[in-house]
Amino acid sequence: MITRDISLEDCILDLIDNSVDGAWSQEGSRPMGLADGADLSSYRIEIEAGPEAFVIRDNCGGMTLDAAADHAFSFGRSSLSEHDEYSIGVYGIGMKRAVFKLGSEIRVRSTFTSEDGNRMSFAVPINVIDWLGSDAPPWDFDIVDDDPLDADGVEIVVRSLTQGSSTSFSSPAFLQNLKRTIARDYSFHLLRGLRIFLNGEPVTGWAIELRQSDEFVPVRMEYEDEVEGQPVSIEIIGGMAAPPPESIDPDESEEGDRRYGWYVVCNGRIVLAADKSQITGWGTEGWPQWHYQYAGFIGIIFFTAAKASALPLTTTKRSVDTSSEVYRRARPRMREVSKSWISYTNQRKQALEEARRKENAAVAVPLAAVASRSAVTLPTLVPKPVEKPANINYSVPVTRMKKMAKALGSINMPYREVGLKTFDYAYDDLVGDD
Amino acid sequence: MASFDVVNYSLRPSKSIQRQLVFEGVKKLQAQLDLDRLVYVGFGSIWFTDFVLAHKLLGVDDMVSIESNEVGYRRAVFNSPYATVRVRHGFSSAVLPSLYEDEIVRGRPWLVWLDYDKEFNADLKEDVVALVENAPTNSILLVTFNGNEMKYDKAPERPEHLKRLFGSVVPDDLPTRACKDDRMQETLADFSLQMMQSVAADLARPGGFVPAFRLIYRDVAPMVTVGGVLPARGAARIASEVVRAADWPCRPQKPIVAPHLTVREAASLQSRLPCVGRLERADVQALGFDLEDDQLEAFQAYYRHYPAYAQIVA
Repeated sequence: MITRDISLEDCILDLIDNSVDGAWSQEGSRPMGLADGADLSSYRIEIEAGPEAFVIRDNCGGMTLDAAADHAFSFGRSSLSEHDEYSIGVYGIGMKRAVFKLGSEIRVRSTFTSEDGNRMSFAVPINVIDWLGSDAPPWDFDIVDDDPLDADGVEIVVRSLTQGSSTSFSSPAFLQNLKRTIARDYSFHLLRGLRIFLNGEPVTGWAIELRQSDEFVPVRMEYEDEVEGQPVSIEIIGGMAAPPPESIDPDESEEGDRRYGWYVVCNGRIVLAADKSQITGWGTEGWPQWHYQYAGFIGIIFFTAAKASALPLTTTKRSVDTSSEVYRRARPRMREVSKSWISYTNQRKQALEEARRKENAAVAVPLAAVASRSAVTLPTLVPKPVEKPANINYSVPVTRMKKMAKALGSINMPYREVGLKTFDYAYDDLVGDD
Repeated sequence: MASFDVVNYSLRPSKSIQRQLVFEGVKKLQAQLDLDRLVYVGFGSIWFTDFVLAHKLLGVDDMVSIESNEVGYRRAVFNSPYATVRVRHGFSSAVLPSLYEDEIVRGRPWLVWLDYDKEFNADLKEDVVALVENAPTNSILLVTFNGNEMKYDKAPERPEHLKRLFGSVVPDDLPTRACKDDRMQETLADFSLQMMQSVAADLARPGGFVPAFRLIYRDVAPMVTVGGVLPARGAARIASEVVRAADWPCRPQKPIVAPHLTVREAASLQSRLPCVGRLERADVQALGFDLEDDQLEAFQAYYRHYPAYAQIVA
């Protein structure tokens, strides 16, 4: 079954990817860098998820009849090889497995404006049970005429939800977590103005910022690579997002752990967020395991390619394919960024006050405002060695202690103070000045 | 000190109204769902007010009361109103699990009402989660807790506190103002219900959890009562229809704050009810006394459930 290897949340993200690709292609399909000023504020994606039905609706330009006939709703023909430039969604298998996972009564509607300027509409009604029941080819779905949607876009309505979808959509926790995932994974699109609504509520993207000052400067470097002749551009940004924790006690701030680490972004979509695992290098050779001490660090690596097949993505698009060459070649550069932060957090333990003063002087700047720079700059701290203390502990008869306290000026002097004063007295007498 | 030594339960008019609304709601469910062999599980204290209602109004015979206090347990056994009430000594967290295997109540639908005085805390959550996970099919689950904002950490820390209590259902951007004053009880009611719903959905309980009860009332402290039905798979739709109907009494829009009236005041107001439209202050003045507008509104809304108290000199 094509639906087995994908989670319900992934399905919904697949459908959002398709809408986002639509919006992106309307805006002229170009590399999704950070500072290109793309404005997605006229696009909206509405998702309604309830125990009875699932709906996703967008005004992102719609799917063309050709795309529907040739890729999205055919099984015999190639559905993976062709997709839009700089897309992440794959209208073929992604859409089918997503809707099949959701339920069995499906209606996909699309309204689009063709190259000659005509507005056209069609619908694809699918009854999965009937479809599975007929085993004679062709297995393609019927495409029928339809009334136009309000705006050019796609609407997918799924009814007769699977038991799993229905129970998940009646769980407020599932819906709240879905909203969190959308907010995180589409941060870069949301920050460009794209609006996504879940059951009527707008989703606000995570604002990822790095701190900057004369002494703290994030890295921002770009280079080109290629996979089987397909160019891939890579950009790495990283540095301090917040001062490291005051103590290394992990329960001090849970917020911290949730945001820090490496982010991997493929054609604008965050596919791995706040990663602290071996995937982004932690705990692999020459690279320590993530430790709470490193909190405060954020690194982001963007992979952008005209062909989504060149991106280091797993098939579920929810993680990085660590066997990808383009990714393996990027890892040493990521390691340099991580390492400079690791060594800074080690150093600052010896000069905490100075470090805190400098950290607090750094101000948060949005990623797009970070200037190009080939390495992270972090302050060099002068360690102030603290001499190891010696603890002295001895007992004397209390009457003798009281007499000594009296001789030192007060019969009520605490024992500890009597101990310190007598040591100082003896030190002056026997050792003299330091 | 145990709560029954502090408050005489029968003298709390808002509590009494709330309790009657809940039983009225359960009666409606009883008419539609298969609840003939309903079992009642609660904290009967030494008064057993809810147990008496369960027996008289709903016809429930088998009942279990949980009492953790040593002296309270002896007094509860002494005061037990019916032969079919069993008092179990211990904390709810220990007694409830033993009931899943209890020969008398096992496999029958339960009406469980965990009527606490304390705030919603980690122990209480554990009881609620275990019940959503394990209560027999077609059970009805209710929980009452203190909704006073001061019981939930200092104002700036409250959103974090609620996140620890209720988990994923609490939005990341919960504003502090949602945890203040009267808003706090609404917030607590919403999150506790969403949490129960999520627990049922996440473990794929066949009929899920149908939220049904959401009442806020105040005698001294503001209290929150929430709950729902854990229906059999086929009964979920029926349960939803019952609780969505316009006459469902257990989701009042406003908190129940009953005015303290003398028997004579209550009786003379009652003689003007029911009536079309709202009772006006002038009507009360015509009766020969006076009330604030909100007191009058509350009485008109709940006069059918307003308790009458009189002192008996034995």
